[in-house]
Amino acid sequence: MSRILLGISFGLMMAALYLVFIYVPTEGTMGVVQRIFYFHVPVAWVSFLAFFVVFIGSILFLWKRDEKWDMLARSSAEIGILFTSLVLITGPIWAKPAWGVWWTWDARLTTTLIMWVIYVSYLMVRSFAVEESRGARFAAVVGIFGFVDIPITAVAITLWRTQHPRPVIFEGGLAPSMLLTLIVCVAAFTLLYIYLMLQAISLKQAEADLGKISQALRG
Amino acid sequence: MENSGYFFAAFAVVWAVLFAYVVLLVRRQVRLKQEIEALKGMLKEKSLPDQ
Amino acid sequence: MRLPLRKALVIAWKDILSESRTRDILSSVGVFALLIIVIFNFAFEPGSDNVELVAPGVLWATITFAGVLGLGRSFVFEKEKGCLEGLLLCPVDRDVVYLGKMLGSLAFMLAVEIIVVPIFLILFDLPLFLPQLALITLLATVGFVSVGTLFSALAVNTRARDVMLPILFFPIVAPVIIAAMKASGLALERESWSAMSSWLQIMGVFDAIFIVISALVFEFVVEE
Repeated sequence: MSRILLGISFGLMMAALYLVFIYVPTEGTMGVVQRIFYFHVPVAWVSFLAFFVVFIGSILFLWKRDEKWDMLARSSAEIGILFTSLVLITGPIWAKPAWGVWWTWDARLTTTLIMWVIYVSYLMVRSFAVEESRGARFAAVVGIFGFVDIPITAVAITLWRTQHPRPVIFEGGLAPSMLLTLIVCVAAFTLLYIYLMLQAISLKQAEADLGKISQALRG
Repeated sequence: MENSGYFFAAFAVVWAVLFAYVVLLVRRQVRLKQEIEALKGMLKEKSLPDQ
Repeated sequence: MRLPLRKALVIAWKDILSESRTRDILSSVGVFALLIIVIFNFAFEPGSDNVELVAPGVLWATITFAGVLGLGRSFVFEKEKGCLEGLLLCPVDRDVVYLGKMLGSLAFMLAVEIIVVPIFLILFDLPLFLPQLALITLLATVGFVSVGTLFSALAVNTRARDVMLPILFFPIVAPVIIAAMKASGLALERESWSAMSSWLQIMGVFDAIFIVISALVFEFVVEE
């Protein structure tokens, strides 16, 4: 199953690369740099998906107390932080040539930054907890709080920023060729996320099983 | 192609980060295999005296 | 249905009583808040022209930092004296325990704010009698305390507990801080209630949602 997934994911990535580098026309105002958009947006979308999965996994873990939900949530949080970091890195790389500044406290970037911190604290709580089982429960709490908090924070920050002028992402709608490229990229990165999730979860599962076997043998 | 340096940088970062994560997973898998080998060894030692 | 509220109030009253006897945390947090205001004064040098710009930020940064300190202390004490275990042995629902602790912390924070906010207004030469500011402070404090009580109970079971609480707490209450700051700015300029209604709504929604979630999740945090 995961082989098929890998194959499809790889194929989509190749298609995405072709579309982004060769097929899609260069955007009028920003030039070549604008193509970063085709990585930046899908990666951002996938990070939200990842944190939604953390949310669901956290609820299910607290409810059912089955370890596998915790593994799901934790893997998704790790990959989610990875993807959010990519958003926070590609964003400024795009912003500098496009707007002239590395960073601006606009609604999207600020909310993303806060989201990043929340999920880093999700992992921190695990390592700072006194026992591992409690750490998993604490992390689940953070996973739930964090996800509920994001929309409220986004609304508050957006309201805050509408009172200040802000740079526009880009004007006008999306040409069909751009839309196609974007959709393919979103699909490619989503499948990549799923594939990485499967690998991470099975790895954690194997480590857990091995730990139990090792304990049984040595004990 | 103006600004193509930035475009390259963004793309390279994405690729590098994802690659680093995959390497991390692979390393953990290698460690796992080593632990399995060690346990296999222990199992052999334990079962031999019983024969 | 009245009984759970009564039990919560008993728990809250226990905290209020023990704090009013020693006034430990109240005085230390109060003095700390004043010191923060003084430091901010050096940082920003609010002259008469930029006071309205700087003041809301200074006020809410102060309350946030001092509040985190106070919230952190409330559960440390419980843990050290073993009070929490005793409390959990009582046949009370966990969400009632949460409610009680929350109300106790709320009373504590309001007590600090009743002293610190007027002093702040005087030090910055701002109008004193603003009912809008009172409501903003109340809504924001409820928000802080709802999330803070839960995370305080959580952080007390971690290693770097003094730092863990702010790390968990600040990002989650960010919308409350933002709303309180913007609304306070409007209040200081004597704007109408309708001008700040959206900020008040954000705080109200936050408070309602997070009190409920915190109460639901509290038992998972305190169980062994």
